[in-house]
Amino acid sequence: MKKKLFSLLLVVALCSVLFAAGAKEEAAAAEGPLKITMYYSDNSTLPFKSDWLTVKTIEEKFNVDLEFEVIPIADYQTKVSLALNTYSNAPDVILYQSITGENQSLALNGAIVPISDYAEWTPNFNARVAEFGIQDAVDVLNLEDGKRYNLPGLFDVPFYDGGLILRKDLLEKYGLDVPKTFDDLYEVLKVFKANNPSSYPFTILAGPRVLYRFTMPSFGISLGKNSSSGSYVLSYDYEKKEYFAGAISEEYKAYITYFHKLYAEGLLDPEMADPIDGTKWSQKMATGASMVTYAYYDQIGGVAAASKIDGFELMMYPSLAGPGGAHNQPKSKTGAGIIFPAKTAERKDFEQVVRKIDEIFFSEEAAKIWCLGVEGVTYDIVNGEVKFKDSLVNDERGIYKALQQDAGCGSDVTQMVWVNKREMTKYDETYAAINAEVEAMGDVIQLIPPKPKFDDLEAEEAGSLQTPLADAWERWNDAFLTGAKSIEKDWDAYVKEMKTLGIEKMLKLYNDNL
Amino acid sequence: MREYNTKSNIAFKTVVYAIMVLVLLVCLIPFLYIISLSLSDPIAVVNGEVFVVPVGFSVEAYKQIFTYPNFFNAYLNTIIYTVFGTAISLFVMTLFAYPLSKPHLRGQSIIMKLVVFSMFFSGGLIPNYLLVSRLGLINTRFAILLPFCINTFNLILLINFFKSIPNDIEEAAIIDGLGYGGILTKIILPLSGAGLATVGLYTAVFFWNDWFNSLIYLKSSQFPVMLYLRNIVNGTTQLNNGGGSSAEAASLSMSIKAAVIIVSTLPIILVYPFVQRYFVKGVMVGSVKG
Repeated sequence: MKKKLFSLLLVVALCSVLFAAGAKEEAAAAEGPLKITMYYSDNSTLPFKSDWLTVKTIEEKFNVDLEFEVIPIADYQTKVSLALNTYSNAPDVILYQSITGENQSLALNGAIVPISDYAEWTPNFNARVAEFGIQDAVDVLNLEDGKRYNLPGLFDVPFYDGGLILRKDLLEKYGLDVPKTFDDLYEVLKVFKANNPSSYPFTILAGPRVLYRFTMPSFGISLGKNSSSGSYVLSYDYEKKEYFAGAISEEYKAYITYFHKLYAEGLLDPEMADPIDGTKWSQKMATGASMVTYAYYDQIGGVAAASKIDGFELMMYPSLAGPGGAHNQPKSKTGAGIIFPAKTAERKDFEQVVRKIDEIFFSEEAAKIWCLGVEGVTYDIVNGEVKFKDSLVNDERGIYKALQQDAGCGSDVTQMVWVNKREMTKYDETYAAINAEVEAMGDVIQLIPPKPKFDDLEAEEAGSLQTPLADAWERWNDAFLTGAKSIEKDWDAYVKEMKTLGIEKMLKLYNDNL
Repeated sequence: MREYNTKSNIAFKTVVYAIMVLVLLVCLIPFLYIISLSLSDPIAVVNGEVFVVPVGFSVEAYKQIFTYPNFFNAYLNTIIYTVFGTAISLFVMTLFAYPLSKPHLRGQSIIMKLVVFSMFFSGGLIPNYLLVSRLGLINTRFAILLPFCINTFNLILLINFFKSIPNDIEEAAIIDGLGYGGILTKIILPLSGAGLATVGLYTAVFFWNDWFNSLIYLKSSQFPVMLYLRNIVNGTTQLNNGGGSSAEAASLSMSIKAAVIIVSTLPIILVYPFVQRYFVKGVMVGSVKG
C-alpha cells in the first residue's frame, strides 16, 4: 500500500513538471510580428471579441501579434494586483490602469516601469499631448518621485456625457420652461409632484453619491465618496487654487439646505439611500414613478424604448446654475491607461515593445481606427466629413453602440485618444447639440483638482484623518438630508465634531503639499 | 402506523405544514422569479410587471446567450473541472482517509493533527499563489484540479465514515487472504456509497461554484462559467463609478442576467435529487464517531 501511494505521488509530481516544461516552450517560439501579451478589462455590456475589426486591422497594419488576456471587469483589479505583486506571470502590458491606490505604492516599489523615463520611445503619445495642449494635466499624474508610470488616455475636450435628465414631454404638458437654476428645478419638481401626488419626482441611480458628484460643483463644493479630489471632505477653490474645508463651509450648508427642502416636501426619492440599481431605476423612470434624474446620456434610450407611456420623452439638459455657477462633475483630461509591469523591461526587445504600443494606441492612424473603424469599411470621408456606412446609420442600436459591439470601436479600454469632435460624429444630433451648448457655456466641466504630493508618511496621516471624517460626514449628511438633525440648530455641533476629528489638520496637510 | 386525529394533533400538524409551506415558498419564489424574468419580455421586466409568472413569454434572452463569445467554452471548462476535479478528489481522499481511519497505525494521530491544523490555518493568498506558480501550474488546468483536491472537512467526513464500518468485516477478509488494497477496493468502497456520494457532491458543488481560484490561476480561455456569470451579474453594477469618459453605463437587460443565472446553476441543482437518497444517510454517518 505504501509503495502504491508513493508511486502515485511520483506520477503527480512528474505530471506537474511536464506541464511546467510545456508552458515554457510555448513562450519561446516567437518570430515574425512582435508578440505582446496584454490584460484587457472586459465588460459584460461590451463583451470582447478577438475578431473585432479594430483588433484585426491594428494587428495587420502595424505587424503586431496582440494576445489579449480577457478578464471580467469585476475581478480585473484583483488579477492585476496579483500579477504586479508576484512579478512572475505578469503580461507585457496591462490596459485600463491608473496610478492610484495600490498601484501607486506598487509603482514606487518598482513593480511598474516609470514610462516617463522612456519619453523618446513614445513620440506619438508626446505629439498628442502637445497637440491637445494638456501637458499640465499629464504632469499631474507624476508621483512624488517626479515620474509618471502610465500612458494615460488623452482627451482634448471632456464630454458632457451625463447630467440632468428629465421628462421633456411633461415640461411641455405643464407649460414649464427648461430649468436653468436649482430654484427653477424646485419649481418644476413641485409641479410634477402636484400632478402626480404619489410620485417621487426626483430619483437617482446607484445611490446619493451620484447625485452629489453631479450637483455639488454648482454649489462650489465636491464632497463624499465620489468627491473630485478624492479627499471626501475637502473641496478645491478654483480661483484661489487651494483647498478649503468644504464639508463645514457655508457652500455645503446651502447645498444640504436645498436638498433637505426637496426631501422634506417629498420631491426627492427616499429610496435612493439604499442604492437603486439599474433595473429599478429604469422601472421608476419608465413607469412615471419618477420624472427627473441625474444619469448618463447612454442610459436614456433603453428607458424610453421600454416605457409604455404615450409621448414619453427623456432629455438631457445642461448643468443647472447654483451659487457657485453652472458646473457638472469635474473631469480629467486624462483617463485610465497603459502600464508596463517591471518584468517587461527585461525583454530584450523592450524598446520595440514600448514603441509599438505607442504606435498602435497613440498614432493618428491608430487613434482613428480605435474611434471610427476602418475607412471604406465602416465610414467614408465625404467633403472632409466623416460619413458612416448606411448599415451603421440605420442600425437600431445607434452608430456608437453598433460600432462598439460589432467592431470594437470606442471601448475605453483600447481607445486612448479622444477627440471630442470626432466622437460626436458617432452620436445623434441631440447629444452633439447639448455638448456644443455646454462647451459654449464655458467652464461647466472643471478639471479635477491637483492632488497633493504626499510621501508615504503624509499619505498615511491623511488617510487616517480621512476615514473618521468621512464616516462622520456621511452620518451627519444623512441626518441633515432627512431632517433627523436640524441644519440650523445642530450645525455648530457638526462643525465642532468635524474640527475635533481634525478637518483643519487635513486641510493644512493638503494645502502644504500642493 | 396509526394516527390519532385528536384536536391538538390536527392543530399541531396544521401549524407544522403552514411553516413548511412558508419555508418552501421562501426557497422557491426567488428561483421562480428568476426563471420567469428570464422568460419574459424585457420591456415587461423594466415596467415591473413580472412576478412568478412570465409576462410576454420570450426565449430571446436564451437565444442571446448563445451568441455570446466564449460562453460555451466556459461552460465546457466548468464541466471539465467538475468531473475531473471530483474524480481526482475522491480518488486521493479515499486513499488518504482510509489509513487515517485506523487508529492503531503508528503516526496516525500526528498526521490527523496536521490535517486538522490545516483546516484552521492556511498560508494565505499570495504564498499559495507563489506555491502554485513555482510548481509550474499557473495557466494550466491542473492549477484548479490539484491544489484543491483534498478538502479537510470532506476528508474528516470520509475518515469518520470509514471508521463506522465494523472492523470485524476487515478482520474476516484478512483471514480469508485479502491484502489491504483488496480490502479497500472490494469491501470498504462498496460499503461506502453514501459517504462517497456525499463527499462527491460537496466536491462537485465546490468545483462548479468556484470562480476565484480560476481567476487568479488560469488564463481567460480556461475560465469557468461562474466567472462569466459573475461578470454578467456583477460587472454592470461596478459601472457609473469612475465618471470616466464614454459612460459605458448602460446596463444589461435583466432577462439576460436571469437567463445566464438559470443556465449556469440549473445543472448542479438537478444533480441533487439523484444524490439525495445517499445524502441524508451520508451526512449523518460521520456524526456518530466524531
